[in-house]
Amino acid sequence: MLLSAHGVSFTIPAGWEGEISQERGPQALALAERGAHLRPVAHAATFALPAERGAFGSGAVEAMRDDDVFLALVEYDRGATDTALFARRGLPRRLDPRRFHPAALQRTLPGQAGHQEFFTDTGRAFCLYVVLGDADDAHLQVRRVEEVLAGIRIGSGP
Amino acid sequence: MTGVVAALVVVVLLLSVLVAGLLRSHATILRRLHELGADHHPDPGVPVPDRAVPRTDGRIPSPRSDLPDGRPAVDVAGTGPGGEAIGVRVVDVAHDTVLVFLSSGCSVCTGFWAELADPRLPDGTRLVVVTRGPKEESPSAVRELAPPGVTVIMSTPAWQDLAVPGSPFVTLVDGPSGRIVGEGTAASWNQVRDLYLRAEGDAPTGGKAGADRRRERELDRLLLASGLAPGDHSLYAPADGEDAGRDGPIR
Repeated sequence: MLLSAHGVSFTIPAGWEGEISQERGPQALALAERGAHLRPVAHAATFALPAERGAFGSGAVEAMRDDDVFLALVEYDRGATDTALFARRGLPRRLDPRRFHPAALQRTLPGQAGHQEFFTDTGRAFCLYVVLGDADDAHLQVRRVEEVLAGIRIGSGP
Repeated sequence: MTGVVAALVVVVLLLSVLVAGLLRSHATILRRLHELGADHHPDPGVPVPDRAVPRTDGRIPSPRSDLPDGRPAVDVAGTGPGGEAIGVRVVDVAHDTVLVFLSSGCSVCTGFWAELADPRLPDGTRLVVVTRGPKEESPSAVRELAPPGVTVIMSTPAWQDLAVPGSPFVTLVDGPSGRIVGEGTAASWNQVRDLYLRAEGDAPTGGKAGADRRRERELDRLLLASGLAPGDHSLYAPADGEDAGRDGPIR
């Protein structure tokens, strides 16, 4: 299954589903009315993604089971590419399971672990955010995430 | 007189041969039917399969007997009314999916769009609305009609792949098997839901029955993860009153 929108494309492997959209929360829409552009957001998950959810998975991660995984790719303003936070070049294709921790979760839920990576790719600033359903099974679940990462392509932008 | 008797004897003998031949032919037919598995009266004590399964000659595997009847479904991919790229997994998933095929222009669909704001589906069942693609439907019209909290995908290939004859049309997919276990149309969503809820009681898989089975499996998994195996003594707590007084009466 190939998804492509807003200068990002995903080849979704078996067992996953996904969506590439623009952030449409109340705050984002209010900013957009003042001229800001809506941030592209890509989600992939091994479970049914609810229609309404936050850019970092709020409203979705609550539905995760132990063997589920959630991934978010959120774009930031182009100006952020010059900052130290986004100094890393290129989307990370491999992740270190030891860096996943419950304290890194945007929404802390029992048993889960999260991890964030900020990077610049093709002149665009992104945050990759991953939630594992079972912190004790990080090595196996991170390998599943890497299958999705291998199929992500970032273009120069919409 | 003797001639008549002799003629009758010959006729009786000929008829006897004819009847014997018919009985032999009938026995041969019954034996062949038996070999083909078409018994009307199976032997008592022999397990009867839940559903007819095509037989093979043993050189190739027999079809799985645990699959529900119904043609295979497909995953749904398309665009959202806001320009999103959406891919929804329908096949080989734990949950069932109700795909509701609607259009922005059909008069009967109008009621569906409104009623789907409160679909009242069983737990473990996902609702996805599918319209034709942006070349055949107006995304802005679909965006206005889309009920909040419901996934809406615009995808003409989904209509073609699932052989949807028109709108409104509803397809129920059993997630674990990826089979379509129910499909059809009605004048309103409430009618569809009533039909669906009634049908799921008859169906051995999918719908509420499937959701119940998955909940049971999930509970078993949680109990096992907590160290509670089948037969654990803690699962057999004393009846009310037998243990009263251990922690004092509750007043």
